[in-house]
Amino acid sequence: MRIVVAEDLYLLRDGMVRLIEAYGHEVVATATTGPETLEALLTWRPDVSIVDVRMPPTQSDEGLRAVLAARGEVPGLPVLILSQHVEQLYARELLADGAGGIGYFLKESVFDADQFIDALERVAAGGTAMDPAVIAKLLSSGSSNRRLGRLTEREHSVLGLMAEGMSNQAIGRRLFLSESAISKYTTSMFGKLGIADDDDNNRRVLAVLTYLNRP
Amino acid sequence: MRQLVSWAGSACVGFARACVVVVVAMLVPAVWAAAVAVWIWWWDGDPWSGIAPLVWAAIGTLALSRPLCRMVRSLVERWTGTVIPAGYREAGPVIQLSTGYWWNGFSYERTSRDALLDQKWRTRWRDPAVWRDLRFTAIAPVTMGVVAAIPLGGVVAAALGFSQPDLSARLVGVLGLVVAIAGAPYAWRSVEPVAVRFLRASTAMALADRVNELTAQRADTTVAQAAEIRRIERNLHDGAQARLVALGLSLATVEKLMETHPDQARALLRDARAGAATSLTELRDLVRGINPPVLTERGLIDAVRALALNSPLEAAVSTDVQLRLDPPIESAVYFGVAELMTNAVKHAHATRARISITRDDTDIVVDVEDDGRGGAGVRDGGGLAGLRRRLAVFDGTLEITSPAGGPTRVRMVVPCASL
Repeated sequence: MRIVVAEDLYLLRDGMVRLIEAYGHEVVATATTGPETLEALLTWRPDVSIVDVRMPPTQSDEGLRAVLAARGEVPGLPVLILSQHVEQLYARELLADGAGGIGYFLKESVFDADQFIDALERVAAGGTAMDPAVIAKLLSSGSSNRRLGRLTEREHSVLGLMAEGMSNQAIGRRLFLSESAISKYTTSMFGKLGIADDDDNNRRVLAVLTYLNRP
Repeated sequence: MRQLVSWAGSACVGFARACVVVVVAMLVPAVWAAAVAVWIWWWDGDPWSGIAPLVWAAIGTLALSRPLCRMVRSLVERWTGTVIPAGYREAGPVIQLSTGYWWNGFSYERTSRDALLDQKWRTRWRDPAVWRDLRFTAIAPVTMGVVAAIPLGGVVAAALGFSQPDLSARLVGVLGLVVAIAGAPYAWRSVEPVAVRFLRASTAMALADRVNELTAQRADTTVAQAAEIRRIERNLHDGAQARLVALGLSLATVEKLMETHPDQARALLRDARAGAATSLTELRDLVRGINPPVLTERGLIDAVRALALNSPLEAAVSTDVQLRLDPPIESAVYFGVAELMTNAVKHAHATRARISITRDDTDIVVDVEDDGRGGAGVRDGGGLAGLRRRLAVFDGTLEITSPAGGPTRVRMVVPCASL
């Protein structure tokens, strides 16, 4: 894959590039500020890019804004956002266009390199990948509590893993259940919540996230 | 007809009030008049022989001035709703020292009674309010006293005039009656402007009050800041620092074990990675407690939105402004809202909350309302008292209405020039 890395701290940028290259992917450009990021995203149109939220010149949410601007120009441009903290607010803004190709992770998720590269590939394929921390907050928020009260505990955990962007197969592996058992759970769950089930995994994850993000 | 009745009513009330004003304003002149009368009574050619009544009158004036001014202030407040701050100097605490003596802020005394007495007189004597009150007792009779006496004078003239048979005297009587009736609803009103002008705290007194207030706030802030720094230091010391040491130890052990026991080394590496992740989580929580990143990145409004999204309450945020304030104010308001939301969950057992952020010409107004069981109040040393103090640093205020059974409504108002 052709990848752009936008991160202002040298150590992290360098480490990330080395990690990505160790997995046989190509880093085509790096950026260290918001404007540079936007330019790199639009010129290179990478298969996927890794962008930090807080960057110079203002040290506020430069990276996030660059990503939103770039996806305004190129809908669905796959981006994985890395940050020191995750906010539901930002997750909402990233998912708002409903185009997919979005990942949102804590920086320490790179500690598990296999899972990180896996998430990166999912995002590159137009999927959605969310940090468990984002999903945990999403599931415990006030409006979710009310709406998800009808789900059983098992359905609840399946929904959480699905919202992180996992396929039925991956969820089955994580919960030590068969794929068919998981699809039974998802069918009953979608019935209870009134979400249309979709064979396409990416579209299904988006539907779940949209449902959870509804105010 | 109804108008006439209401006018007659206000005339009666006005007349009564005018009488009260005259009595209050003329009390001190009456004392002096009595003293002068006694002086003349005792007159025997030597002006010094009858000086005693005048001395007593002076002492009486000093003693009367403060209750008199208190009364005028309370009358004005009751009649017109105008509150005139008294601005008397508060006496400081009297404390016993380890030597057994008492310190009252001015001098050491053997007993607490002496100390209190000494303090009372010294505070009184040094209080600029004493001189202001004396000035007011001198000014009041010739201003509001005279004006308020007009209806009373009219009635006296009428009574005298009608008791005489001849026409001109009766004419004077009619005139007096007209003046009394026409002036009655208005004459007492002179008390308000006079009191406001001469009885309010002088600039020097207001400044002294402000200095006291700021000194107290500065002490509060210093204490709070020191406590906060201690908390951060302890957190880092017991958390991230300790974990990094452990991490270094693990890595050193791994280095040693790599050749001989690769399995153990791998297990240690896994632990080390988990340790690094945990210390990052701890650091993130610590940072969030010092200054939430979203506040730095997006400002108050979005930070409160993020807070509402993370809250276990169903919280709705409504606002009509997009504003960036000074970071310290943003931080104080943010943590205020955070504390109120936590209270709503923990103490009020609420399920919903409404937060609204608005601004008017000079202030930012934040309302937080929940559907909990209410009964919240500002208690000494409680969370809300602390919040009020933190807002007071920015001249902000906190009002709370929380009847038992709910709902709780809290309003924070912070003036901000940077809008």
